[in-house]
Amino acid sequence: MDQAVGADVRPFIQVSEVWVPEGDRLVLAGGCYGGLDAFEASSRHESFAKGEGLPGKAWDEARPVVLKGFEGSYFKRTEAASAAGLTSAVAIPVFAGAKLKAVLVVLCGDDANRTGAIEVWQEKDGLLMLDDGYYGAAKHFEWVSQHTHFPRGQGLPGGVWASETPMLMRDLGSGYRFIRSESAGRAGLTTGLGLPVPAPLKGTYVLTLLSARGTPIARRFEIWDARDAKVGKENEAVLIDGICARDGKLWDEDNTRRVAAWQGVIGRVLGTGVPVVESGSPGLTAGYDSVVAFPIHRGGELAHVVAWYI
Amino acid sequence: MKKLVVIGAGMASGRVLEHLFESAPDAYEVTLFNAENRGNYNRIMLSPVLSGEKSYEEIVTHDEAWYAANKVTCRFGEHVVGIDRARKVVIGQNGEVPFDKLLIATGSAPFIIPVQGKDLPGVVSYRDLDDTEAMIEAAGTRDAKAVVIGGGLLGLEAAAGLRLRGMDVTVLHLMGHLMERQLDEAAGYLLKRDLEKRGIRVITRASTAAILGEERVEGVLLEDSTGLKADLVVMAVGIRPEARLATDAGLETGRAIVVDAQMVTSDPDILAVGECVEFDGNLFGLVAPLYDQAKVAAATLLGEPSAFVMRETATKLKVTGCDLFSAGDFAEKDGREDIVYRDPGRGIYKRLVLEGEKLVGAVMYGDTADGGWFHGLIKDQTDISEMRETLIFGPAYQGGAALDPMAAVAALPADAEICGCNGVCKGRIVEAIEGGAHSLDDVRAVTKASGSCGTCTGLVEQVLAVTLGDAFELPTAKPVCGCTDLTHEDVRRLIKAQELKSQPAVWQELGWKTPNGCHVCRPAVNFYLLADWPLEYQDDPQSRFVNERNHANIQKDGTYSVMPRMWGGMTNPEELIAIAEAAKKYGATVKVTGGQRIDLLGVKKEDLPAIWADLNGAGMVSGHAYSKGLRTVKTCVGSDWCRFGTQDSTGLGIKLEKRLWGSWTPHKVKLAVSGCPRNCAEATCKDVGVVCVDSGYQVGVGGAAGMDVKETERLVDVATEEEAIEWTVAFVQLYRENAKYLDRPYKWIAKVGLDWVKEVLSDPAERAALVGRFDISQSVYQKDPWAERARPEAARRFLPLADLTLEAAE
Ligand SMILES: Cc1cc2nc3c(=O)[nH]c(=O)nc-3n(C[C@H](O)[C@H](O)[C@H](O)COP(=O)(O)OP(=O)(O)OC[C@H]3O[C@@H](n4cnc5c(N)ncnc54)[C@H](O)[C@@H]3O)c2cc1C
Ligand code: HEM
Ligand code: SF4
Repeated sequence: MDQAVGADVRPFIQVSEVWVPEGDRLVLAGGCYGGLDAFEASSRHESFAKGEGLPGKAWDEARPVVLKGFEGSYFKRTEAASAAGLTSAVAIPVFAGAKLKAVLVVLCGDDANRTGAIEVWQEKDGLLMLDDGYYGAAKHFEWVSQHTHFPRGQGLPGGVWASETPMLMRDLGSGYRFIRSESAGRAGLTTGLGLPVPAPLKGTYVLTLLSARGTPIARRFEIWDARDAKVGKENEAVLIDGICARDGKLWDEDNTRRVAAWQGVIGRVLGTGVPVVESGSPGLTAGYDSVVAFPIHRGGELAHVVAWYI
Repeated sequence: MKKLVVIGAGMASGRVLEHLFESAPDAYEVTLFNAENRGNYNRIMLSPVLSGEKSYEEIVTHDEAWYAANKVTCRFGEHVVGIDRARKVVIGQNGEVPFDKLLIATGSAPFIIPVQGKDLPGVVSYRDLDDTEAMIEAAGTRDAKAVVIGGGLLGLEAAAGLRLRGMDVTVLHLMGHLMERQLDEAAGYLLKRDLEKRGIRVITRASTAAILGEERVEGVLLEDSTGLKADLVVMAVGIRPEARLATDAGLETGRAIVVDAQMVTSDPDILAVGECVEFDGNLFGLVAPLYDQAKVAAATLLGEPSAFVMRETATKLKVTGCDLFSAGDFAEKDGREDIVYRDPGRGIYKRLVLEGEKLVGAVMYGDTADGGWFHGLIKDQTDISEMRETLIFGPAYQGGAALDPMAAVAALPADAEICGCNGVCKGRIVEAIEGGAHSLDDVRAVTKASGSCGTCTGLVEQVLAVTLGDAFELPTAKPVCGCTDLTHEDVRRLIKAQELKSQPAVWQELGWKTPNGCHVCRPAVNFYLLADWPLEYQDDPQSRFVNERNHANIQKDGTYSVMPRMWGGMTNPEELIAIAEAAKKYGATVKVTGGQRIDLLGVKKEDLPAIWADLNGAGMVSGHAYSKGLRTVKTCVGSDWCRFGTQDSTGLGIKLEKRLWGSWTPHKVKLAVSGCPRNCAEATCKDVGVVCVDSGYQVGVGGAAGMDVKETERLVDVATEEEAIEWTVAFVQLYRENAKYLDRPYKWIAKVGLDWVKEVLSDPAERAALVGRFDISQSVYQKDPWAERARPEAARRFLPLADLTLEAAE
């Protein structure tokens, strides 16, 4: 594990926020603004109708949406975002069957100095193609990704697609499907989290978060399995994979960690089926500043929870 | 301090050392040899390292600091080459080390099948980190192809890992289904489907003939002469205990190093643990029992009492998204009983095997939540009689979700075709129901579904019930048998709609309640599959009635009857002489049958291949007098000889018999052709009867002359012989594709209506398509069963039973 993590990490994602439906609008349920107080304040007064702004668009189109450059776009908080140095955003809707549970929005900025990748892959003619992605300074990797496709079962996106299970890849620099690996290695991308994004209308989507050492998306990743097929009828989840810059491996074959609904941050996601963004209480966030815990529903039921901490 | 030398830093010895240092840190001064150039790591997690889902650093169990803290002298990367028991020293490549106690933990080595090309560069086995790294390296080449030989746990984990790494992967498996030692056929089917979903190609019953290549591996050749390109070949066919050091040192060995319950070998100062040992005749291949051995070995080293006992192990597969679990014994045996649960929509299969009041085996796929609990019941031999009814639902049973009889229909995708006649899919029917069509008639009116032949009526009703819930009352239909709630018609329709091409696919996707059917449904499903997928499906002799299996009619006294074909009832002196000689030679009684041929009765089972060979030799083939298939084509003498004859009825009968023989049908099919309406061949009481008239041919169908007597009804009048043949073949094929198993044509016509049959067949394109499909089927099935079975190897099946056991023992 990468033990030499400095205290002055510059996270790739600067803002994470959760929007939930209330009546016919999306309202803010929680967020971590990383000290961008003015942007936070302007968000607190915001709400979105279906089709309105970025969260409303993800709701309306029932699919993840990447938006690079806010100026002149449908983005509603452009002024506050520019003032905060935020330039790009990704909105991921959470559907349980046909029902919208929430929209997670992550915002990034400072493009020239941060490396990482948030990618949306979409199935076309039996292959996963890059729908869109935000890469910060990883321009070469962005170009390579635009010219790569993944068949079923191949690479992180193809693996997630075929197994319908979130996956956590180590060491993207080695063998992560040919040219992607070489370029990933050069961009310093090490760890990749891939998750299926159920889209009730149509289409197959896979979201990947690729984290680089210097400007990580997260320094701790967890994947929890909450399916009846794994844990039985109880509303519980078991940790099936995870790594942490501080604690090393989090999985233990002989001694599986298990949480019940409402127990801690993961338990809150189990209980509500809605993403949780938590910051400011290190006791709840494994000693890190913040956590995003994100539910994945399958067939209308909560199947997995993935969490990333920074 | 006493000296302990350990050979092998593997999963088992690692645990021994942990227990040892925990209980008595200062009891021994330890030297640890390992042939691999590294210390102990979690070998079973090599698979996720291969796939990229773990890093090697994460799976190291003991690092340098640990060895240092416990003052272990590490000699990694050094093979032990001998043990000198007299001098009590271990001989390493770099020198000797004396011991007071020695622990052998050398594990096992991959088994390499002795085929040509096995030593070529690019052929690897799968045992350690070096193998894993070699595979990762090979996967780094663009579009590289891998062939994995062996569809067991190791092979499949290798295949999944290589696929994730971007390779084009094919798995070759010798047996009929994957992981056959841990899974039954039903679970093997689901696993195969899951792997295929990952883009991995799986070939079962694949026997490797050679590995090809000049400088390095280029391909694999199979016994059936299939060739596969390969840049990497992974051999994962099994393991062989690594016991050579012990054998050379004169320790007692069998298939591995023999140890007692204290893990002591035949030398009291030498212990052994892990895959290199044999205990009570058992070998080991999974870690759980090795951990028990490690505990015992540590105790023995410290002079404490302890004894190893065998326990049931459970298997899982470490492929992300494949949930399987297997424990205990699930072979079919007398006195055993199965409880099966299937959920086709979720791809779930669970099977429990009971013997008396005990659970002896459990296999589950797709839902493994209760695996641990079942494993416990098996290990502890718990009396389960109290919870028998609800056992399958696991410990958390609360009213339990009862097996849903409509699960198969509920699981159908929207684009599955329900009504084959009018091409109506499920989604369209659901739309109609949601749009207000709440009865069968309404749905029929709006969508046309079930409006033609009506065989899909049951399915349309189920879609109504699934969509409307209890607002729709489902009429009770008679299911095929106790294994399912679906009717024959439902099963037939679903086999087509879901493109089910194997028996396990039918059992799983249609939610069968037994592991693999019963004597009632298997013959029917076997027929439906071979009729619908003649090229893809392989006929299963085990799913046939005894007469069909033996290709002869068993008689009252246990002897058999043998009846050669006489095309259109014509024969000649040579055939008659051959028949007469055969009758004499095998002591057969001779009877002229109602079907215009000669039956040889009273033939002994063991004489069957010989008499078949004799008749074959005279140019005759089986008359299929035992089969659900074409029996005879009875003819009259016709225009050649009879002054009333209008057409060549004999000639047409011969042509029809030559075209149709060998085809399997839902029930037996009898034909006749009469040369004029005087009808000497009694054509008007046959399944298909042709009556010749001046203007051509009157084709009648649906006659019967058994318990029911029925006259044929006119299908069509045609002018030419070609047309008569075309209509007959098309009719037989429509019957094959549409009828319920064991419905004679007249019964089937009564159900679907002659008008519908006429309507379908009067479309020339449809007729041509039916004939085309019939011919494809005949390309597979028009084979003389006698010729195949008269061969010496096959003939052995017919010898009396004493010899059959001999065969099994060989
Ligand atoms: C890829 C893979 C996946 C597996 N998955 C599972 C699983 O999911 N579940 C499960 O229960 N089991 C699994 N197994 C099996 C499990 O790993 C073995 O049962 C276990 O490792 C055996 O332990 P051992 O200590 O007997 O031998 P090993 O772990 O093989 O250790 C033996 C060591 O001895 C060394 N050695 C051999 N000869 C000499 C010599 N002459 N001198 C010095 N050193 C020597 C070898 O180099 C080796 O390091 C898997 C195995 C593999 C390879
Ligand atoms: C297992 C039970 C039966 C046996 C062993 C048997 C055997 C036979 C045999 C050997 C023949 C001569 C056919 C030929 O030449 O191919 C025959 C003819 C016949 N069988 Fe059966 N049969 C059985 C059941 C039935 C049943 C159930 C029916 C009625 C539905 C039936 C109706 C007939 C008729 C009508 C013929 C005369 C065929 C003709 O003249 O074309 N048989 N049977
Ligand atoms: S059916 Fe007619 S043609 Fe045939 S033999 Fe009888 S009378 Fe002659």
